[in-house]
Amino acid sequence: MTAAAPTAVMSGRYQRAFTIAVLFLVAGWHLAGAGGQLLNNRPAYASFAFQGAMWLVMALAIAAGSVLVLRGSPGWLPAWTVAVIALAASTAAAAASPAGQMLAVNWSWGSAGWTGVLVLLRRRFTELASFLAAEALAILGVQVWDGLNRSDLAGFLAVLAWSTGAQIAVAAGVKALDAAAGQAAAAARSEDAARERAATAEIIRAARHARWLALQENAVPLVAELAAGMADPGDPRVRIRCAVQAARLRRLLAEGDEVLGSLVHELHASADVAERRGVAVEIETAGSLPQVPGPARRVITDAAIAILTAARSQARITLATVAAGIAVSFVADTGAVVGLPAAGEGVAIEQQQDGGILWAEARWNSR
Amino acid sequence: MEQPVTVAIIEDHPVVTEGVASWIRSDPGQRVRLVQTARDLTALGAVPRPPTDVVILDLELSGELVTTQIPDLVAAGYRVVAFSGHSDPAIVMETLDNGAHAYVSKDEGRDHLVEAVLAAAADRPYVTRSQARAMLADQRPARPALSEQERQALLLWFQGMSKASVGRRMSISENTVRQYISRARAKYAATGRTAPSKDALLARAIEDGVIKAGEIVPYESFAHAAADAETRAAADRPSLGAPGR
Repeated sequence: MTAAAPTAVMSGRYQRAFTIAVLFLVAGWHLAGAGGQLLNNRPAYASFAFQGAMWLVMALAIAAGSVLVLRGSPGWLPAWTVAVIALAASTAAAAASPAGQMLAVNWSWGSAGWTGVLVLLRRRFTELASFLAAEALAILGVQVWDGLNRSDLAGFLAVLAWSTGAQIAVAAGVKALDAAAGQAAAAARSEDAARERAATAEIIRAARHARWLALQENAVPLVAELAAGMADPGDPRVRIRCAVQAARLRRLLAEGDEVLGSLVHELHASADVAERRGVAVEIETAGSLPQVPGPARRVITDAAIAILTAARSQARITLATVAAGIAVSFVADTGAVVGLPAAGEGVAIEQQQDGGILWAEARWNSR
Repeated sequence: MEQPVTVAIIEDHPVVTEGVASWIRSDPGQRVRLVQTARDLTALGAVPRPPTDVVILDLELSGELVTTQIPDLVAAGYRVVAFSGHSDPAIVMETLDNGAHAYVSKDEGRDHLVEAVLAAAADRPYVTRSQARAMLADQRPARPALSEQERQALLLWFQGMSKASVGRRMSISENTVRQYISRARAKYAATGRTAPSKDALLARAIEDGVIKAGEIVPYESFAHAAADAETRAAADRPSLGAPGR
């Protein structure tokens, strides 16, 4: 069998349970019902050995049918082979029964019908109906051959009503349950999808809220000051604040995409603003980098923004795997010492100034 | 150096050839002399010319990587300096393993190409930042065992510090920084496939006192690598400045 979708697996499990229930019903009927009747009427048969042999043939047909339905839905040829063997055994057993007493001592009609139900259950309903009709006609044929009288016909109709009626009722019931199982599985699947959508929506909403809060802290007051004319765009300090906030906005947007190596991605976003100012920024990585948790990434990108904002013409950012974490370094021509944001979240920051060149390293350790 | 080093450029883009030639011309000491330029490897040595010490080889000629042809060049007696737009550490490693003396990325050309050619002519190690990056990223089981100081010097050099700054950071002299980086390079020459250029580099390193014959370990075992990582984790960074062993 090939891999199936969860829904198919689920409704498949229900169908198998129904199949097993029918199997027990058929086997139980043949052993207890038909077998009991056979033993009970033992003296009435012309040849008990022949009846017993037919009972065994029927039992083998039921066993073969059971194997077929447990391995999946049988094709028409194996299903009908089993059905026709059952029909033949049943008709032979009926024909070998004493005339006039046939219906009273017959064990085979019910068994043959149930065998048909077992193997034709998951095929088109008309196939089962044709089989049961053929079975009834065969029994009637035997009766006519024996010489049919009115009471025989009444007995035939009575047996037809309860035996074939019960078989059709069981088959129809299983068909209905199969359909219900399919619907239940489909409903469960759409419920799962709805729950997943709700969870995703909640994650997106929380991320948006966090970004909105971050903007409230710094960017919004700055925009308000600019609008009110309290901050002068000609003032270099205001321009630096604007550059920092622009870089943070870009980082906030980049933080949304949870891609592998998102630290590199966020550093690229942070570098973007510096590049627009004409600073040449190169970013290089050495080795396969570990994943860095969000809060630690923010400490690192905050340092990046501070340094890139201070860079005059060039900056180099490198990421390298070290013992148990990652070393993110910055070399930039800042001209002077840069005030770096506080370390924390497992990130240690060091710096060294050599003339106009700043070197800083943010090291995050997983331990 | 009395005699200028002779060099050939194998490069399929004329504009790049012209740029390299201009770097060679603008060297104040005129230490390098360009004797041949070619657009592919078949032209090299086809016509009798003054002997060529070093070949500057673009690794991608007409869209094809030529790293596998380096062993033939080396066997023919050329010293190879790879000059490439690629910076993938795996390609850098393969190039060095095949016997190239140095790897200079196109971004590093202006600052490093002439110096790398001179170092190659003298069989001395020359480690660019892209080479340092490839060594730091190297996770192959057969990689050489680098000491803590060698690794730290390579890391700071890769990060973009000048060698003088690396020295200040590690509280060692600039010369010792060079020593550590050269020793790491020499260890790489001692591993992988054999090539006359790698033997020459190693012999020169021993002669110069960069590395002792006993320090050449063929490869680093996994147990050794794990122990090394532990030491690295425990080491306090400011205390790394102990002078070289």
